[in-house]
Amino acid sequence: MMKKTNRSRRTLLKLAGAALALPLLGGSAMAQDLSGTVRIWTFLSPEGSSPREVVLNDIIEQFEGEHPDVDVVVESQPFQELETKFVAASAQGRAPDIIWMRDTFLSLVSDRGALANLDELLSEEFKQEAIPDMFQVFVEKSVFDGKRESLPLWPSPAQSIFYRKDVLEEVGLEAPPLTWEEFIPVAAQLTEGDRLGLGMPTNDNSVSGFINIMSGFGPEIFDPETGQLDLTGDQALQAANVVRQLSEQGALSPTLLNAMGDDIQDQFAAGRFAMAQAFSPRFQQFKSIAAAYDPEQLAVSAWPAFGDRPPAVLLGPYWTVGISSKSENQPAAAAFLEALYTPEASMQWAQTAGLVPDRQSVLSDPYFSTPEAETIMTFVDLLSAPGAMVFPQRLPDITKVFPVLNTALQELIGTDEDPAAILARAESTLGW
Amino acid sequence: MTQAASAAPMERSHSIASAARATRRAGTALVAPALLLVIAINVLPAFYGFYLSLRKLFFFSDEGFVGLDNYTSLLTDPLAWDAIWRSLLFTFGSLALAVPLALLAALGIRRMGKFGSLLLTVLLVPWAMSPIVVALLWKWILLPSPGGLAASILSVLNLPPADFLTNPTMAMPTLIVVGVWRTFAFAAIILTAGLGQIPQDLYRAAAVDGLGAIERFRKITLPLLAPSLLIVVSMLTISYFNEVQTIIGLTGGGPIRHTTTLGFLLYHTGFVELDQGRGNAIAVVMFLINMLLIAGYIRLLGAPKGRPAS
Repeated sequence: MMKKTNRSRRTLLKLAGAALALPLLGGSAMAQDLSGTVRIWTFLSPEGSSPREVVLNDIIEQFEGEHPDVDVVVESQPFQELETKFVAASAQGRAPDIIWMRDTFLSLVSDRGALANLDELLSEEFKQEAIPDMFQVFVEKSVFDGKRESLPLWPSPAQSIFYRKDVLEEVGLEAPPLTWEEFIPVAAQLTEGDRLGLGMPTNDNSVSGFINIMSGFGPEIFDPETGQLDLTGDQALQAANVVRQLSEQGALSPTLLNAMGDDIQDQFAAGRFAMAQAFSPRFQQFKSIAAAYDPEQLAVSAWPAFGDRPPAVLLGPYWTVGISSKSENQPAAAAFLEALYTPEASMQWAQTAGLVPDRQSVLSDPYFSTPEAETIMTFVDLLSAPGAMVFPQRLPDITKVFPVLNTALQELIGTDEDPAAILARAESTLGW
Repeated sequence: MTQAASAAPMERSHSIASAARATRRAGTALVAPALLLVIAINVLPAFYGFYLSLRKLFFFSDEGFVGLDNYTSLLTDPLAWDAIWRSLLFTFGSLALAVPLALLAALGIRRMGKFGSLLLTVLLVPWAMSPIVVALLWKWILLPSPGGLAASILSVLNLPPADFLTNPTMAMPTLIVVGVWRTFAFAAIILTAGLGQIPQDLYRAAAVDGLGAIERFRKITLPLLAPSLLIVVSMLTISYFNEVQTIIGLTGGGPIRHTTTLGFLLYHTGFVELDQGRGNAIAVVMFLINMLLIAGYIRLLGAPKGRPAS
């Protein structure tokens, strides 16, 4: 009887202690009781072996080890369909718990009420320590009417210029010039035989090289009220003339008129380009498939700018991760979301996949002073550069603007039509 | 006796009628599941698609009834008319190449016996492949740079690489060739079966009458093959007119919209631009054009027996 009373007392003391500790521990204490399944929609595959897939699988394995009652299931989706499928699934009550999205679609997904308010789900510890430690230029874009609806992943300059140092050395340069005036003749000079000075995707609905060129004028290219680009203005015309000159001087070829980002990647590996527009988070992938050149010769640059402006760094489209407002397992989903952004995860994304860490504090790790991390530090410099900018939170006609501008890009490369007429048609197609 | 005699035929006709009714009932029962499936999978979604075409739908958000706005904006858009024209060009360009090729292949295969059947099986492989796989395969073959098969062959001949897919003039003919490569063997199978239905006595009689090979083909083969040709032409028309996967994989509607057919425009509007109301309007227009084309074929090739097919 005495024994029983002592045990009851101990239990009561434990419960009281736990009750006191609960507010202090916040989400991490709650995480101990997590259970069920967390479904994730991403473009990464659990069976894949790319660096990013390896890291994601490691994070999942570690999370499941810490939360044995939680089963994390990755349901891989084509990357262009993630947002649409998610909104459709959300309307039908079949949405996954966690969704990967492009930042350019975030406002559309948010407007449909498909995303949970992360401020209510993330632990206090995470909100106080992790979020301020991220790159704020990305973080603020996920806040709609005071509600945080997603967290940016893999901060990077999205579309940057990859180049081969060995080829640049042929013309006595260490890196591409950072003004268009100087860049165009160099790109033309680098065109030789089967090799083109510059490779650009011209038919990829997720990117627009034309906007990247325009970003050389800085963030004012987007109207602060409407988010639209002035396609018949002087800046757009100058950007169009850059494309036309690159084409006329042989740096850009009409053989790229249907090129997708993947085509550029494959052809870069085969040695077809001296420089190319590329998706920055794929830097390691570019290195791993390099066939016609030494992968150590691959380097990254900002986009050239116009006049005296700083080199252009357009931070987007980038990936951002949210939780479904319909998720029935939001606590476990929130815990897993936090797991993607721990300092340890940030180190893994950096060391294995060559990505800029989401947590800036880990940059003090000695790893980032090694030659191996040189490219990451270049990306970090680009993110912090004066020319760095994001797309407006609400880019109008986002589903149309890239294809329309890609058609304009094709017309600038493949025809001799007046650039002003091409841009006027693009503006009219968009109804701007 | 008279009464009994008249009752027997009545009874017989009664039993014939009831047997016919039973046969009809059995037929209906056999067809009913398939019919219900067709209604559930094709007819109801088609009506729903038409209903959606009357609404403003963007990114799964229904912004209400807009009447025929999606149709008027579509039919006043020069890009849509360009797409219709390109669809017809792709369809009839492919038919013009595929049907004679399939007919030649069918005639050859009939003469080749067992080896012909083997050849037909090999030729069928592209048809069995996923169109997107076919597109990726041809994209690699036609890549105008080192690594592309066609470019490598041309370089052996000291010729520069050809821009089959990126040259605005060559892109559509290239698409037609790839489309025909993928589908003509399927047409050849149907025509081979059709040729097998033609009684050989007719050819023997024609030979006795002194008809040459061309005349035999014109007066016997072609008229008696008309039902098979109708099936082939109808199926290929629907297939070519609605083709989208090969276009997505090979050219993405480019260069500069030169391969943007109505099918590709539907995909692009509905799944890239996410304007689902307008996308459904394009689907309805495509359905109507398909029906018009098929009705035309039935009129041309399905003329009643005894009247020459005009």
